[in-house]
Amino acid sequence: MEEPGTPLVAMTGVSKAYGGTLACDHVGFTVRRGEVHALLGENGAGKSTLVRILSGDVTGYHGTVEVDGQTVTFGSPLDARRRGIAMIPQELDLVPGLSVAANIFLGREPHTKAGTADRKRMHRETRELLARIGIALDPKRPVGELRTGEQQLVAIAKALALDARVLVMDEPTSALTGTEAERLAEVIGELRDAGAGIVYISHRLGEIGRIADRATVLRNGRVTGEFAARDLSAEQVTEAMLGRPVQALFRVRHTGSTGELLRLENFALRPRRYRPGRREPAGITLTVRRGEIVGLGGLLGSGRTELLETLFGAGTPGRWQGRMWLDGREVRPRSPRHAVRLGLALVPEDRRIAGLALDHSVRANTVLSVVDRLATAGFLRRRRENATAGEVLGELGVSGALADPAGTLSGGNQQKVVLARALLTEPDLLLLDEPTRGVDVGAKAEIYRLLADAAARGIGVLLASSEPAELVGVCDRVVVLRDGRSERELDTHDAGEAELLAAAMGEIR
Amino acid sequence: MTTTEFLPGRGAAVAATLFRFQSLFGLVLVLVAAIVFSPSHDGFPDFLTGENLFNVVRATAEIGIIAIGMTFVILAGGIDLSVGAMLGLAAVGSAVLLVQDGFGLVPAVLLVLAAGLAFGLLQGLASAVFGIQAFIVTLAGLQVARGLARIWSGGQGVAIAYGDGPGEAPVAFSLLGERTFGGLVPVPAVIFAVVAVAAIVFLRTSAFARHVYAIGGNEKAARLSGVAVTRVKVLVYGLSGLLAALAGIIHAGQLNQGSPNDGAGYELDAIAAVVIGGTALSGGRGSVSGTVAGALLLSVLNNILTLDNVEANVQLLIKGLVIVAAAGLQRLRPGP
Repeated sequence: MEEPGTPLVAMTGVSKAYGGTLACDHVGFTVRRGEVHALLGENGAGKSTLVRILSGDVTGYHGTVEVDGQTVTFGSPLDARRRGIAMIPQELDLVPGLSVAANIFLGREPHTKAGTADRKRMHRETRELLARIGIALDPKRPVGELRTGEQQLVAIAKALALDARVLVMDEPTSALTGTEAERLAEVIGELRDAGAGIVYISHRLGEIGRIADRATVLRNGRVTGEFAARDLSAEQVTEAMLGRPVQALFRVRHTGSTGELLRLENFALRPRRYRPGRREPAGITLTVRRGEIVGLGGLLGSGRTELLETLFGAGTPGRWQGRMWLDGREVRPRSPRHAVRLGLALVPEDRRIAGLALDHSVRANTVLSVVDRLATAGFLRRRRENATAGEVLGELGVSGALADPAGTLSGGNQQKVVLARALLTEPDLLLLDEPTRGVDVGAKAEIYRLLADAAARGIGVLLASSEPAELVGVCDRVVVLRDGRSERELDTHDAGEAELLAAAMGEIR
Repeated sequence: MTTTEFLPGRGAAVAATLFRFQSLFGLVLVLVAAIVFSPSHDGFPDFLTGENLFNVVRATAEIGIIAIGMTFVILAGGIDLSVGAMLGLAAVGSAVLLVQDGFGLVPAVLLVLAAGLAFGLLQGLASAVFGIQAFIVTLAGLQVARGLARIWSGGQGVAIAYGDGPGEAPVAFSLLGERTFGGLVPVPAVIFAVVAVAAIVFLRTSAFARHVYAIGGNEKAARLSGVAVTRVKVLVYGLSGLLAALAGIIHAGQLNQGSPNDGAGYELDAIAAVVIGGTALSGGRGSVSGTVAGALLLSVLNNILTLDNVEANVQLLIKGLVIVAAAGLQRLRPGP
C-alpha cells in the first residue's frame, strides 16, 4: 500500500431512490489496494444498488464515487470497465450459445491478419486463464452446456481477462460446490496480493472471515456497521444486519411423523432425447412420511433438480422406470397440472426464471394456481382474490401492497410469494428446490419456520439444497444423491455436515 | 450527474397515470388535431359532421374486431399473422355460401364462424404440438387461407345480390351495410362495441384471462403453477380466428361481395392498433380498452388525412411514424 492516502475506490454519501423507496441513503465505503471488502446485509438492504452504481450499471444517484482520488461519473458499465472496474453479476452475463472462449473475448476478439477472429489465440489464452483459476474446461464448449458452478468460474475468468483493478463479485459462491468455492477463495487471495481491490457480496457469513479484510454491513439502505473481518463474530454481524439479536435460525426438530406419503423404488427416467448438462434420475429409492421433512443432498449436478422436476411432471420427456407411489396409490404425473391435481406442489429453483411473472402484481402471482377454484362460473371477484392472497401472505409475513409488481419485493419476500402459491393448492407433498438461495438470514429463518409449520399440519416435504447446514438443521432425514442415484440416507439426529459432504462426494461407503 | 427520479412525489404519480391511459390521451390528441386541421364548411369542421364520425367508427369495426383477437394472442406471448387472409376467406365464404350454395343466413354465418374458429385452433395446435413458433405457423396459415379463398372463389370477387330467388342472398344480410338506431349508427359499429365490451369484461375478470396474462408474463412459472398452458394457447388462437371470421362476414355485408384478396395487410394494422394501445409485444401486459383506443386512433388518422387530401403514400409515412412514436413511449413507461 504505497499510497495509504488515496483508496482505490471511495464512495461517499451515495443515495439512490426507486419510486418512493430509498435503496441507498447516504451510504459510503472504501476499498484500498490489496484489500477484499465484504458488503453484508439482507436482501433489499442496498448492497446490489451500491455495487451497480460503482460498476456503471445504475445512474442518476446523489453523492460521489472516486477512483484513485478522482471523482468519476460512469454512464455505462463500459465507462467503469475503462477505469478498471469489472463486475461479476449474480445473474451471469454469458451467452449460452457461444463457446467459453468466445464468451471470454466477447466484444474484443483478437483478429488475424486476414481480419477473421483469431480462434487459436483465443483458445490458448482461455486455457491459460482457466488454468490460473484452477479449472480444466474445453474452451470450445458452449457455455450453455456447463453446470452453473462452472459458468460462474467462466464469468470470473472473463473479468480477469479484462485486467480489472477492482473486481465486484455479487454472491459468487451461491452456486459453487465446496471445492470450487475454496479454489475461488485462493484466486481472490492471489488477486489481492497482486494489488487488486475486491468488493465481495455474500450471504455466507462463514466465508467472510476467511476471505475478506473488512466488512461493511447495510440495513434498509443505511450503513449499520463496519468491521475488521478478523474480529467478526457471527452474532455481531447478524445483529447489525437484522437490527435485532439473532434467534435460533433453524427449527427445533419435531417428532411424530405418521403414515407413508411418497415412495420411490428404483425410480429412473430414460429420456427420449438427451439434454446436455442434465443428470436424469437413474435409480432412486426413498420415502417421505406425512409430517416429515426429507432433504435431498448431493453435489451440484447430482440430479436433485431433475428428480424434483420429473416427480412434478415437468422433467425431460421419456420413459419411466421403477415405481412411484403417492399415499399408497401408484401414480405418474404427466404434467405439472396433473401433479397439482394429485396433491403435489413445486417451489422451483430459480424464482425469477421459473417462479414469478415479475411485472405482474403480487396478488396475481399468489393466486395463479387457484384462479379456477376461486372463480364462480369462470369469473373472479377482486374481493375474494384479495382475501385469499392477503390471508396466506399475512401468515407468511410478506409485507407490501397486493397490487405492487412482484419484482419490487425483496428476494426473501419473492420466495415467500412462490411458497404461498404452492401452499394455496393445499398439497400433500411439497417439493422445494433451493428455497433459500439468495435469501437473507432473516427470511431464511422464516422460511424454515413455514416448512416446519407445514410439516406439523401433516404435509410431507422434500427439500433439495446445496447447503449442508440447511439440510442438517432443517430435515429429519437426508437422502444423498450422486450421479442421479440415491447414494445414502442419513439420519440428521446422529449425522453432521461433515458426514453429509463426505457422502455427497462418495468417500464413505 | 442527473437528479431525475431521486425524489418521489406527485410527478411520478402523474407520469404513471399518463402512461396508464397513454393510448386514450393519444386518441384525444389525434382527435383535437383532426378538428383543428379539418377542412370546414360554414365554419363547421367537416370532421365533426355526424356522417363523417360514423364513417370513422364503421371503418374501425373490422380492424378493431381483429385487433381484439390479436390482443389476446399477443398477451399470451404469441402473434397471429393469418387474420387478414382469414378475413378474406370468411368474406368469400359468406358470399359463396349465401349466393351460390343457397344457404340460409344463420347456417351460413355459423358455418363461416366455425371455420374461422377451427382454422385458429388448428394453427394453435400445430404450434403447440410440433413446437413451431407462432410467427411461422401463422405465416403459413396466411398463405393457406389466402390460397383457399382464391380456390373457393375461382380467383374473382363473388358479388352478393339480395332477394328470395336462387342465386340471391337473404335480404337480412344487407343489414350489415346499414344503420340502426334511427338510421344513425352503422351496424358494424354496434357489433364492434358489443365485442369490445364483452372482451374488456372477460379480460378483466375471467379466470381464463388470468392464465393468458400469466403465460405471457412467465410461461415457465405458469406451467409449474399448474396452468394448462397448451390448452390456453390453442384457445387463444381459436378466438383470434373466430373474430377474424366475424370481421370477414361484416366485410362481405358492407361491400356486398366477397373478394379473395380482401383484408391483405390487415394483420399489420391490427398489430399496430394493439401496440399503440400499450400492449407489450413480449406478452403479459396490456388491455383491450387500449387496443380499442389504438384502433380508433388509426381510423381517425386515416380519415383526417383523407379529408385533407393527403397523398396515400404520405399517409403511410405518417402512420408509420405514429406507430414508432407510440412504441417509443412504451419504452419510457416507468416499470417495476
